[in-house]
Amino acid sequence: MNYMHKSITELHEMLKKGEVTSSELIKESLKKSHELQERCNAFVTILDDAKEEVVTDNLLSGIPYGVKDNYSTKGILTTGSSNTLKDYVPFFNATAIEKLNKVGAVKVNKTVMDEFGMGGTGTTGHTGIVLNPWDKTRVCAGSSAGSACAVAAGVYPYALGTDTGDSIRKPAAYCGIVGYKPTYGMISRYGVFPFASSLDHLGVLARSVKDCAIVVDAMKGIDKNDMTTWNSKNIQLSNSLSLNENGKKICYVKELCDISNYPNADEELKLHLENFHKTLELCKSLGIEVDEVSVDRRLLNASYSTYVVIHSAEASSNMSNLTGIIFGPRGNGDNYIDMIKDHRTKGFSPLIKRRFIIGSYVLQKENKERYFNNAQRVRRLLVDTWKELFKKYDAVISPVSIGPAKKISELDKQYDTNTIALDEQLQIGNFGGFPSITIPNGFVNKLPVGVNITGNCYDDVNVLNIAYSLENAMNYKGQIAKEVNNG
Amino acid sequence: MSKFTKEIVDSYADKLLIGLTEEENANVLNEFEDIDKQIDLINEIPNIETVEPMTHALDDFEFELRSDEVEESEIIDDILANSDVHTEREIEVPKVVG
Repeated sequence: MNYMHKSITELHEMLKKGEVTSSELIKESLKKSHELQERCNAFVTILDDAKEEVVTDNLLSGIPYGVKDNYSTKGILTTGSSNTLKDYVPFFNATAIEKLNKVGAVKVNKTVMDEFGMGGTGTTGHTGIVLNPWDKTRVCAGSSAGSACAVAAGVYPYALGTDTGDSIRKPAAYCGIVGYKPTYGMISRYGVFPFASSLDHLGVLARSVKDCAIVVDAMKGIDKNDMTTWNSKNIQLSNSLSLNENGKKICYVKELCDISNYPNADEELKLHLENFHKTLELCKSLGIEVDEVSVDRRLLNASYSTYVVIHSAEASSNMSNLTGIIFGPRGNGDNYIDMIKDHRTKGFSPLIKRRFIIGSYVLQKENKERYFNNAQRVRRLLVDTWKELFKKYDAVISPVSIGPAKKISELDKQYDTNTIALDEQLQIGNFGGFPSITIPNGFVNKLPVGVNITGNCYDDVNVLNIAYSLENAMNYKGQIAKEVNNG
Repeated sequence: MSKFTKEIVDSYADKLLIGLTEEENANVLNEFEDIDKQIDLINEIPNIETVEPMTHALDDFEFELRSDEVEESEIIDDILANSDVHTEREIEVPKVVG
């Protein structure tokens, strides 16, 4: 029997009734992990010695899950998919892992990511490219590439991710699953490798809105080790889900979503936006009011650079401790400077090096005003614009990316300045710490595409409920990747 | 002429204790050019200099500092077990001073 395609609630009921055991679920999940590793290279580590857990009333007890490899896991290799930490074994757990341990969740693998979360393709991890389970000539997106790949392939019902730009929500779209990052600070970041601290969020990838809510309920909470966490005791996400969205108001941004903005649009973008507009009609049929709004195009165009400048600056600072002296393999050299340089030169991928140099440049006294301070100013203008929208609307709805998963062979293509604002707009959710969820929105050229719902800070229940209703009105909940041949 | 040069990129890499290949250097230069053009877009936004920079996702958040209480740490053995070479409670590292 196969069980890993089922939802958390279904698996829990079967465990409670004794129709299956935790041990059997783990065995199946490990077998599927090895099969998927052969096909798509989704894992850094597969935990063949994972042990069953006692099944309690907690929905997650005894059920396998995956962990992105930037979550510290005590006694288990945790590399951040970087050669600089290729042998690093933490002696403590991230708070989120500790919380899942307490409820009896069973981790069965550590998933491949873009190196330290920096990258949106799933191609820069030190163990190689993660292939999309729908089409192995395409990427999963990143950085939570392995987690998205494994959940889509039915290895387990959920996996943990992190999201600094769109690293949960874009891979979810490309793999046909759900990806949710709650409001900044709802889940403690303690023990997760920092990338850009003011933008970093933890979250989950699963095959339904409800499963996402169940997992985040278990992960969240105030933590004395992360002073940016806040008390969310009164928020019960999964118990708050309901299908009555009549009277809700959402909006979409004309400058992002209207096909007339893209005179050179390819077939996939056209179909993607057509599909999105059909979904708006579906929202209306559910009793949700949908309005088109306009946002200053100059702000939208500046968004991606704002993201690059801020995250590069924060990353260059956060990762200055990666010297090979404290963690990771020690470099060669006659003195510590040469040893550090050897370690960093050999250890970091070209993308990371680029980001560090840009980060260092924009933080220099003579450059800071033009680059870093101005980027932070655009961040505020974008966040204020979205907060104004949230005064009138429950959420902003948008298509994810510019179509289905990109081809690996076309990744080197120059960014199209015409579409970059649409491709990268989910980063606004990180600028403002907004709760944001991607759900599957059908197919373009037989490949999955996603739609995103983003709301105001602390309004996670509202965001999840809109997504829950929309998911219920479509047929993509719980879908497992089926490899397609697009020639 | 670009204000960025191969030498500038190498000098920043050197400060960061990172070595670059010729190709990596060229890639940084290309990305700098792109970002610089984009920053020009930012500077077109009217009165941008009057906006207060936003440094944090929840910048209306009221942080509470926890009280400064000494807590017993029981992880020393775990740390020692995690190091490659140690003598009693001291971990061997390369010489970094004098």
